[in-house]
Amino acid sequence: MNAFAILWMVPLFPLLAAGVSALLPRKARKPAAGLAIGAMACSLTLSLMALANALNQAQSSPGTVQTWNFPWFQIGETWVRLGWLLDPLTALMLVMVCFVGLLIFIYSVGYMAHDSNFTRFFCFLSLFAAAMLGLLISNSLLLLFICWELVGLTSYLLIGFWFHKPSAAAAAKKAFITTRIGDMAFLLGIVWLYSATGTLLFYDHGAGCLEAGAIGELLRTVTHPGMTAATAISLLIFLGAVGKSGQFPLHTWLPDAMEGPTPVSALIHAATMVAAGVFLVARVYPLMAAVPDSQAVPVQEVMHASATAPAGEAAHAPSHHAAANAPVVSTALKVVTWTGILTAIMAAGIAIAQNDIKRILAYSTVSQLGFMMMGIGTGGVAVGMFHLITHAFFKALLFMGAGSVIHGCHEEQDIRLMGGLRKFMPVTFLTYAIGMMALSGVPLFFSGFWSKDAILHAAHGWAPSTAPFYLGLLGALLTAFYMTRQVCLVFFGAPRLGTGAQHGHTPEPPHESPAVMVVPLMLLAACALLLGFLGTPAWPWFQGFINGSGSHLDMGELWAAENLRMMGLSALVVLLGVTLGWWYYGRTSPVVGEPDPLLRISPDIYSLLENKGYLDQVYEATVVRGHAAWAAGCAWADIWLWGSLVDATRYATLGLSWCNRLIDEFLVNGLFDRFSEGLRICGGTTSRWQNGRIQFYLRFIGAGFVLLTLVLIWRSRE
Amino acid sequence: MNYLDFFATLLPETTLVLTALAVLLVDAAGLRELKTAHRILGASLVSLLGCALSVAFVCMGHGSSYLLDGILINDPLTRLIKVAILIPGMFTCLLTPGSRLRAHPGEYFCILLLAMTGLLLLVSSENLLVIFLSLELASMCLYILAAFNTTDARSIEAGLKYFLFGGISAAFTLFGFSLIYGLTGSIDLRPIAGALGQSTDPLLMVAVVMVIAGFGFKIAAVPFHLWAPDVYEAAPLSSAAFIASGSKVASFYVLARVVITGLGGTTGVPGSQWMTLLAILAGSSMVLGNLAALTQTSVRRLLAFSAVANAGYMLIGVLAPGSGGLPALAYYLILYSITAIGAFGVVALVEARAGHDRLDAFSGLCRNSPVTAFCLMVFLLSLAGIPPLGGFFAKFYLFAAALRASPGDPLILSLVVLAIASSAVSLYYYLRVLKEVYVRPVAGAEPAPIPDLPVIGLFILAIAVILLGSFPQWLVHAVESAQAASSF
Repeated sequence: MNAFAILWMVPLFPLLAAGVSALLPRKARKPAAGLAIGAMACSLTLSLMALANALNQAQSSPGTVQTWNFPWFQIGETWVRLGWLLDPLTALMLVMVCFVGLLIFIYSVGYMAHDSNFTRFFCFLSLFAAAMLGLLISNSLLLLFICWELVGLTSYLLIGFWFHKPSAAAAAKKAFITTRIGDMAFLLGIVWLYSATGTLLFYDHGAGCLEAGAIGELLRTVTHPGMTAATAISLLIFLGAVGKSGQFPLHTWLPDAMEGPTPVSALIHAATMVAAGVFLVARVYPLMAAVPDSQAVPVQEVMHASATAPAGEAAHAPSHHAAANAPVVSTALKVVTWTGILTAIMAAGIAIAQNDIKRILAYSTVSQLGFMMMGIGTGGVAVGMFHLITHAFFKALLFMGAGSVIHGCHEEQDIRLMGGLRKFMPVTFLTYAIGMMALSGVPLFFSGFWSKDAILHAAHGWAPSTAPFYLGLLGALLTAFYMTRQVCLVFFGAPRLGTGAQHGHTPEPPHESPAVMVVPLMLLAACALLLGFLGTPAWPWFQGFINGSGSHLDMGELWAAENLRMMGLSALVVLLGVTLGWWYYGRTSPVVGEPDPLLRISPDIYSLLENKGYLDQVYEATVVRGHAAWAAGCAWADIWLWGSLVDATRYATLGLSWCNRLIDEFLVNGLFDRFSEGLRICGGTTSRWQNGRIQFYLRFIGAGFVLLTLVLIWRSRE
Repeated sequence: MNYLDFFATLLPETTLVLTALAVLLVDAAGLRELKTAHRILGASLVSLLGCALSVAFVCMGHGSSYLLDGILINDPLTRLIKVAILIPGMFTCLLTPGSRLRAHPGEYFCILLLAMTGLLLLVSSENLLVIFLSLELASMCLYILAAFNTTDARSIEAGLKYFLFGGISAAFTLFGFSLIYGLTGSIDLRPIAGALGQSTDPLLMVAVVMVIAGFGFKIAAVPFHLWAPDVYEAAPLSSAAFIASGSKVASFYVLARVVITGLGGTTGVPGSQWMTLLAILAGSSMVLGNLAALTQTSVRRLLAFSAVANAGYMLIGVLAPGSGGLPALAYYLILYSITAIGAFGVVALVEARAGHDRLDAFSGLCRNSPVTAFCLMVFLLSLAGIPPLGGFFAKFYLFAAALRASPGDPLILSLVVLAIASSAVSLYYYLRVLKEVYVRPVAGAEPAPIPDLPVIGLFILAIAVILLGSFPQWLVHAVESAQAASSF
């Protein structure tokens, strides 16, 4: 069985599971969970087969994409076609989403055990998985957009899962509306792309919109501000990614999305859905990276890259020859890079001053997504995707660890009220520590180190500017700092649970979570440790696979001066961050109610960060207020301007209807009634002939006979 | 001519006659000691078996044969009509256990089977003498069936009325036949048609009116319909059901054959004498039937007037020049007989528990027997011609065929318009029954439950009505290909 031919079944299983469990009664908890998990396991199996297929393909003909297109419907002469594809990018993402998804589904069985809407939860989760997997395999921007919107819908449903909490309902709306802004731009990009190239298929044997012909056409079209059409469309599509992946300035929904159940945060708002934006940028990378001929670019290389490899240019792999001949970087990629690094720094800063355990992780996600964008912008698809994959595992791990902590601390989320949990929850602590070190990028044994190192390396060799590199270092420092702060406050020091003002009584001590929650944590922790070794400079298998260039083990690369310097620098930064964090938060156990150490050092900056840079307030004052004013104006116009018109029409209509009614009642009804009455009387008369007297009947026949004969004879005489 | 052919052609009729004797024998020999209900059941099973065998023999027949100069005809259309007579006959057997027979079940079924034999012979001949004899065989049997409840004065009265009325009509028919024989010197339809040509002899007019008066009695067309409400109301229910379904199919078919083949209609000349006559019959049947039905309170009488009205619609099929209306007429006949027998079946069930058939006996039916109520709804709405039920398509097909066969003929057009208008009126009285069934609460004490077995039979009929309406092409195809292969 060819795994590619049945690739469409990967999203089908969760979709069926969602459909069936939507019909299940609320009491059917076990079947719902079983269905969802079983479907996910089937999808995982198929994804692994697809990965094997992709690996074979990479061996036999590297850099090719397998596609299968089919017609969907016809408008006039044009067929709208959809399709699915399989390339290393898709294969790796499929396995990641299925694997992380499966673990989170299992974890949810424990986490949601006491929820009365358990069945609905699994229905939504399955629907989400189906949409996400569909997004990954689609070979058409249209199909991708459909799945993209479905993903947004399920995200809305799941953030607002506890919709009886006003904050959750508000967060769901915020997430939906904010991402819609990005999606609007995305849709515009799609429409533009379609009108310019006539196709939305990515790869279509040379006729797809990501292939040389279409891109060359787009590059030749110059639009108003001097941009090429390719750049403009890229930027519009990137705006969609900005919304979905929580990039500045549309990131504000993501921290609020933490109102959803923690497994949702782990699956959707950390590991998979938010990565969809990054995935989108990676998918349309050939379009993003395209540079017009007039600028001195190795055209062949671009053409080659866009025609064969969907993902990236070999020259941008994070190996040491990246900076050899400074190529011209497209405007779109510059925007991606700057947006990414700006987001990374800003979100990392905000994360320092947050006290909600999930919110910190949420800002950390925003920040890491920024890193991924920067990775794609500076180093190409492989760099960004490598960080995406490793991040998915350790961020899912961290979120589920946080969930375990919240579960163990009886729904407490404020890290200032925790402390000392490592004694109570040893497994959670260990796995959480692994996740934290992976995220911080502690050297050598943690995956985050290698993937972040690759990004920094690529940024270092980025031709347009070196500023992203230094900002990236600052981001890494901040990351290490806030993660250390969080771990110190949660797991070290004296237990403070129950000492908060809102707890009048001493609650029972925190407890370790059940096995169904802890085992997925351990599996994810193992992945957080091991995955890094797929992409070290010594053996860049991941990069080779994505770029279709192959790879080999060469320990010498590790000791190359440049690599060593880079690794040393990043290790140094991380160690500095960890030490600082420990200095402020781990050395002495903080006391409840005492202000944060950073607040004492610099109150202004701290409160700026604590309030998320006042961005929500700015949006409130500008966008929301402006919108409200506009709405009020419209309402005024509606009531007074249109309202009076409508009223005038209403009275005119009423008058007419009244006349009509008169006609109807007296003329039409009267006549009809008269007619019906006449019919009834006729009926009475005719049935009076039916008097039951046979003599009369027989006379009747006789009369009828005579009459009929006369009529006939009279007629034939004519 | 080969006597073996003769025997093979008559096999269905022979089977029926033998079954009739067998029923008598079984009842007399084996069942005499049992309770009446069981005797009825046993006899009805034997008769069912016989009918089924007969249907099988009919279906086994193939090709067209024309024996003894048209004394005996066996062609696909005739076979189809025979099946359409035998199937209502079978359902009549099924209905009989519920129709309050007190005695002589063996004789009842024997006579029923003989009546069916008469009807089968009636449709398979072009010879006036055979037609008259088989018509009389069937009629005599039906008179007895109508009067079978000898303990019920109303039943006897109904039988007597039917007999007197029928006797007079038969006299008319025979007189008409003998006049035709006198005018043409033949009793076979085709030579008669040849000899008559376009004659306008007043004697022929009298003959035509007399012949049509006889058949008008059988099909209950105005002004020869007066027996129908009384007989439908008071005869044992199964007899009434058979008179309304099987007998009607055969009479219509033979009427069409006599007027189209025998009285010069084959030439398709509009204005043949009988056309005017039939048009008058059709129009007055539609109008009078529907109007009189409006004021009825007895559901059986209501069905009787509805039958009169339907006879009017079906006459349009006979009027269509040539044989263009024939497939549509056959379709309508089959559909009508299924629907009528189904409606009578529901009436039987309701009557069995309420003791009468007035409208209030039906109130609240949908609450204590929703399936029966559903079946009744299907039958009545089909009679009213509501899509997607069979009755709708039957009307549509009939009117369309008539209009297509005679484009621009004002007579047919005005009849079709009249038919459509009067069937709009008919909806009123059908809905009155359904209003009792679905809207009115149960009157008085909770009535006894309705037995399941008959309901299953009715449900099958209702499904058939729905299917024939939704997928009419099955039957249309069968009817059209049968007609194409027949000499009619």
